[in-house]
Amino acid sequence: MNALQPDNRIACHECDLLMQRPLIEGDQVVHCPRCGSRLISSHPNSAERSLALALAGLILLIPANLFPVLTLEVLGRQQEQTIFSSAMVMYRDGLALVALTILLFAILVPLCKLLLLTYLSAALHLRARWPLLPLAMRSYQHLDQWGMLEVYLIAVLVSVVKLVDIADVHPGLGLYSLGALIAVTTLSSSQLDPDLFWHQIDELRHQPSPSEARHE
Amino acid sequence: MNSWHHSALAQGLLRCHDCTALWPLALEEQHCPRCGALLHSREPNSLVRTWALLITSALLMLPANLLPIMRVTMLSSQGDASTIMGGVIELTKHGLWGIAIVVLAASILIPVGKILALGSLLIAIQFGKATNLKQKMVMFRIVHWIGRWSMLDIFVVGILVALVQFGNLAYIVGQTGALAFAGVVVFTMLAANTLDTRLIWDRHLQEASIGSET
Repeated sequence: MNALQPDNRIACHECDLLMQRPLIEGDQVVHCPRCGSRLISSHPNSAERSLALALAGLILLIPANLFPVLTLEVLGRQQEQTIFSSAMVMYRDGLALVALTILLFAILVPLCKLLLLTYLSAALHLRARWPLLPLAMRSYQHLDQWGMLEVYLIAVLVSVVKLVDIADVHPGLGLYSLGALIAVTTLSSSQLDPDLFWHQIDELRHQPSPSEARHE
Repeated sequence: MNSWHHSALAQGLLRCHDCTALWPLALEEQHCPRCGALLHSREPNSLVRTWALLITSALLMLPANLLPIMRVTMLSSQGDASTIMGGVIELTKHGLWGIAIVVLAASILIPVGKILALGSLLIAIQFGKATNLKQKMVMFRIVHWIGRWSMLDIFVVGILVALVQFGNLAYIVGQTGALAFAGVVVFTMLAANTLDTRLIWDRHLQEASIGSET
């Protein structure tokens, strides 16, 4: 049925050097001997680690978006700001596309990344043949660089410095949640082993489904 | 190792961009049997697309820097239109050199540097001698990694506009410069994505193998 099997060797994505797949044990990073790019980032139990971190991230995402990140106080009047409101004011000022970029890069892409990672790592951990696993993995890989929470955090700090002379700025619960969320998502991308994920997705696709197995 | 024969393409193999599986070249333009992505031995039209995105970003740099990204109105003042460079100068006037350097780097040095770096890689692939490749790869990786940090100023504008909403007392409004600048960031990131670095190795390795044969 599966006449086509991928070649057992690996090729570097930046210089196309063809190599034998090295044998790896434990947490290890392998670089291309020709161009130095990162070929393999091996993490045993990557699915379990990712599942734990993705769930933690999903939980932290809620306060990070619900509570104000900063509150500004001028002459007794207060103005609160959330990630969502910083996107919406751009829409109000007639810059819909800017609003969309903030909405995408600071809220939707991080949310989708965490949802996809939860779905993938849960499926791999439970060895469950859930639908669309390859598509979910590809989507995760393509979305990866467009999540910009850490850039947003630095932007918050720059804003504080800009405003601190003029008025009272108070950090909110949203800011602390954002900090924790970034710690979790950074850890989760460092613990992700794409090779292992693809290998396990492939295994799941080729194992007989429970109904087929019963007929045998 | 440093010869053309050691490249996957020379061995009749192509690598799936998404799941890294190696397949025979016969599967070019077909869907990867493992993950379903469209297979290409090299990024299609990589150079033309990267040039197009790069020129777009370079053109957008002009309105991004000349038009104000926000307008600040405080009490009596009629409203100061603030450009990116204006914001940096404002910070240095308040003695905030550290933050000024961060903003200057993220908003001006990184986008300009990215456009120059990608442009020089494209020129090296198309016209120049492909030398110092390891150095070029390090440059490419930095460009690829650092691009997202240019969104900093857009986020800052969003946060400031959302916070400073005190009616007649003080308020900030976002301006068109921010749109152009967001465009620069997105298009330079796309340009770095479409540039296929294997092309520069192909050129280098083929030149080297021709040189060694003669």
